[in-house]
Amino acid sequence: MAAAHLAIERAYREEWTSLLATLAGQVGGDIGLAEEAVAEAFVAAASDWPTAGVPARPGGWLTTVARRRAIDALRRGRTRIANQAAVEHLEALIRDNNDMSTGDRGHSASGVADDRLRLIFTCCHPALALDARVALTLRAVAGLEVAEIAHAFLTTETTMYQRLVRAKRKVKAAGIPYRVPADDELPERLHGVLHVLHLVYTEGHMATTGDDLVRSDLCDEAIRLARLVAQLVPDAAEAHGPGVPAPDRRTATGPHRR
Amino acid sequence: MKYMLLLRHSPDAGPVEGTPEFDAEMAKWGDVMGDLGGAGAMVAAHGLDTEATATTVRVRDDEALVTDGPFAETKESFFSYIIIDVADLDAALGWAKRMPNATYGSVEVRPLSIHEQDS
Repeated sequence: MAAAHLAIERAYREEWTSLLATLAGQVGGDIGLAEEAVAEAFVAAASDWPTAGVPARPGGWLTTVARRRAIDALRRGRTRIANQAAVEHLEALIRDNNDMSTGDRGHSASGVADDRLRLIFTCCHPALALDARVALTLRAVAGLEVAEIAHAFLTTETTMYQRLVRAKRKVKAAGIPYRVPADDELPERLHGVLHVLHLVYTEGHMATTGDDLVRSDLCDEAIRLARLVAQLVPDAAEAHGPGVPAPDRRTATGPHRR
Repeated sequence: MKYMLLLRHSPDAGPVEGTPEFDAEMAKWGDVMGDLGGAGAMVAAHGLDTEATATTVRVRDDEALVTDGPFAETKESFFSYIIIDVADLDAALGWAKRMPNATYGSVEVRPLSIHEQDS
């Protein structure tokens, strides 16, 4: 049904980043595991919602399904003892959410904002190769499909898929922390994040002189993400500065600026 | 998490023994190793003799081939390792930045394999 598809598209656009960011924090910063679980939740929505109807709280429905998928993945994992704590935590969250009405994620708005920032900083960690940072940011933070990212960077889907797998594996195996950097590291790391967004923008901008419309999406994503960073780190003058894609300054410097 | 810091330098880089710069660097090594111990992050550390003393063994088709020298001739030689146990990569990188040879050589930060992490 068209209504269900619209609801899924809307949920994808509005919820993907928050769902993934929050779940990744609940599974010890394993972005790869969280991404698969959230993607599977949207697949489940695509098969359920057209027949069963759109749930009253789409975000809550997706959160619960993603948590169940994450629990399944953790139980299959190699480090089952270490995973047990995460499984129990997720099971408790599912129970609590069914009992109480604490919002879709049982999480305050500022908590979700923190999660998204943690996700961005982790995807842009300097321990990852630059092309991996760009790919991971577009996949995990912006929610672009692997095929879209591959197309935008003129490479094959297989190559891009492998790049993402390697990046996600390194995040986990190397112990890249899932957190916003400490104050003394913040300026440098923020600069790194903006560098990644600038690369995304430049890649898209160069393409707009051609006839490839898909790559103009990169500009939109870079702007959207730069706005998100500016919104989440209000003191980050650099994110509002001239070197950063923000053509619509009215929105970019809107209600979050105090 | 446990990480190995692989310390490398060009043998001709860094301060020369007998100079005040050398003594200053030794003091820095003493500080950082002491701090690692004090933080409870030290697992093991050993310095190695020069690559000129290295011998490499390869067994191919049941035949051992013994050759003079390290695994690969590189500009920077591997002279020491330190195994540390810290919270995450950022903490490990923080210690790596404090290694005096980082200013003229390099420090590679490698997590121990997943099988080593719990032991």
